[in-house]
Amino acid sequence: MENLRNDPDYTLYRPILESDRRFYWMIGFLSVVILWALVMYIRQLVYGLEVTGLNNTVTWGFYIINFVFFIGISHAGTLISAILRLSQAEWRRPITRMAEVITAIVLMIGGLHPIIDLGRPDRVLNVFLYGRLQSPLLWDVTAIGLYFTASTVYLYVPMIPDIALLRDKTNTKLKWLYTFLSWGYEGTERQKHILERAITILMVAVIPIAVSVHTVISYIFSMTLQSGWHSTIFGPYFVTGAIFSGTATLLVVMIAFRKLFHLENYLKKIHFQYMGILLLVFSLFWTYFTFSEFLTGIYGNEPKEMSVIHYKLTGPYAPYFWTMVICNFIIPVVILSFKKLKTIPGILFASIAVIIGMWLERLTIIVPSLSSPRLPIISEPYFPSMTEWSLFAGGVAAFCLLFLIFAKIFPIISIWEIKEGREEGLNEAKERLDSYLPDTIISEEEAT
Amino acid sequence: MEEKKVTPKYILFLQVFSISIIWVLFISVNFWIINLISLSRYLQDTQNATLVISIIILPLFGLLAGVLTYVFVGLRKTRIRD
Repeated sequence: MENLRNDPDYTLYRPILESDRRFYWMIGFLSVVILWALVMYIRQLVYGLEVTGLNNTVTWGFYIINFVFFIGISHAGTLISAILRLSQAEWRRPITRMAEVITAIVLMIGGLHPIIDLGRPDRVLNVFLYGRLQSPLLWDVTAIGLYFTASTVYLYVPMIPDIALLRDKTNTKLKWLYTFLSWGYEGTERQKHILERAITILMVAVIPIAVSVHTVISYIFSMTLQSGWHSTIFGPYFVTGAIFSGTATLLVVMIAFRKLFHLENYLKKIHFQYMGILLLVFSLFWTYFTFSEFLTGIYGNEPKEMSVIHYKLTGPYAPYFWTMVICNFIIPVVILSFKKLKTIPGILFASIAVIIGMWLERLTIIVPSLSSPRLPIISEPYFPSMTEWSLFAGGVAAFCLLFLIFAKIFPIISIWEIKEGREEGLNEAKERLDSYLPDTIISEEEAT
Repeated sequence: MEEKKVTPKYILFLQVFSISIIWVLFISVNFWIINLISLSRYLQDTQNATLVISIIILPLFGLLAGVLTYVFVGLRKTRIRD
């Protein structure tokens, strides 16, 4: 253990080896919130969906909004991590692990929401017994199942060298777990080659899987003839929104862990600036897609479509819609375009705004369309109940709790990748740079 | 000389068990998809789409199971200790 204290990366081991009172307070608080959500869910099971604000017309509310929102956030991880690894971006090293953990955790939480939305959750078994692949809902089940499996594997495989380090260098109660999960990894050349090959296969496979998941989620809406949903651009629009909200969540997590575990030496300003550029680009993409979506609807002037658009732009959902525009476009663009504002607190503010904005986007996609049914029935307004708010808080608390537990067991920043970056990264980057640059032209005189 | 460390039996059991679980999951997904295909044939309901989706899904689950098995078996086989 003394040797470990002299390790230049001891900061990365410290959350696993030492805990302060703050950590246990946070675990306690989050557990209470989750318990409260559980009580509210049991109450929903007893009384049925009448305890929610759902009604005859608005049959999808908070739970489906949160489902789309959480699954969207999952794109932070695997997709960003895989793209950064594949493009050999050297600054990725302290970021990838956090991104991958976000994916695995939010997929678990997001995937539970459609089950929570069922008045009779036992009927979820019917999906497996009598499911029909004709339905986009079943496409979702398969796509999310596949994505969860892929992202968990993609989180775990690059973590093996770090687990082996923990097995060899620490002496905690979890040594048996590290021995089990490290599969006898000793860092030999052959073992490194096996891992490298597996990571390459996974990162190539995981990108199309991640893109397909959110495309398939958009199909739940766009495959219907519902006004405001039946759109051909919903696939890329949802994928863009997902990466956008995922990047914002990743930035918030990075800033939180930097502060909590004193990772200032690993997560430097440059990392936030690069991620900030990504956030800015996706803010502009998102605005372009939103504009396209509305322009085609307004130009077509179809009465039902216009009714939904009026609901959003000037009607009862206008405050949510315009707040969404401010959060997703104005705030990030203003903050991230000016060097003076692009500080870490500024980026944190922009990221939180984007997370709120993207949640409102899911709300303004789902509820106004359902509030404007094609059948001549009077739509009742939708107000989420205490149960729905509690379960939302429970979902957020579960995300934070699982993340903290993960950080207590495994390094939140990839230690081996940081070491590799120090030892080999510089030379590799130089070699790559040499290969991009044109060769020096030697004149004939010099050559002779 | 480095002390020779032997992996405890229960760890080995857990490792073999986890590989088995991966393949049980893969086989279960296969059975589920076959059930969906036979249901679509019985109902004469979007059989082609069902087949296309199955052709995409099954190899991907197989790939993930294969990669994990490759890593697990590869790492255990190439370790120096034991």
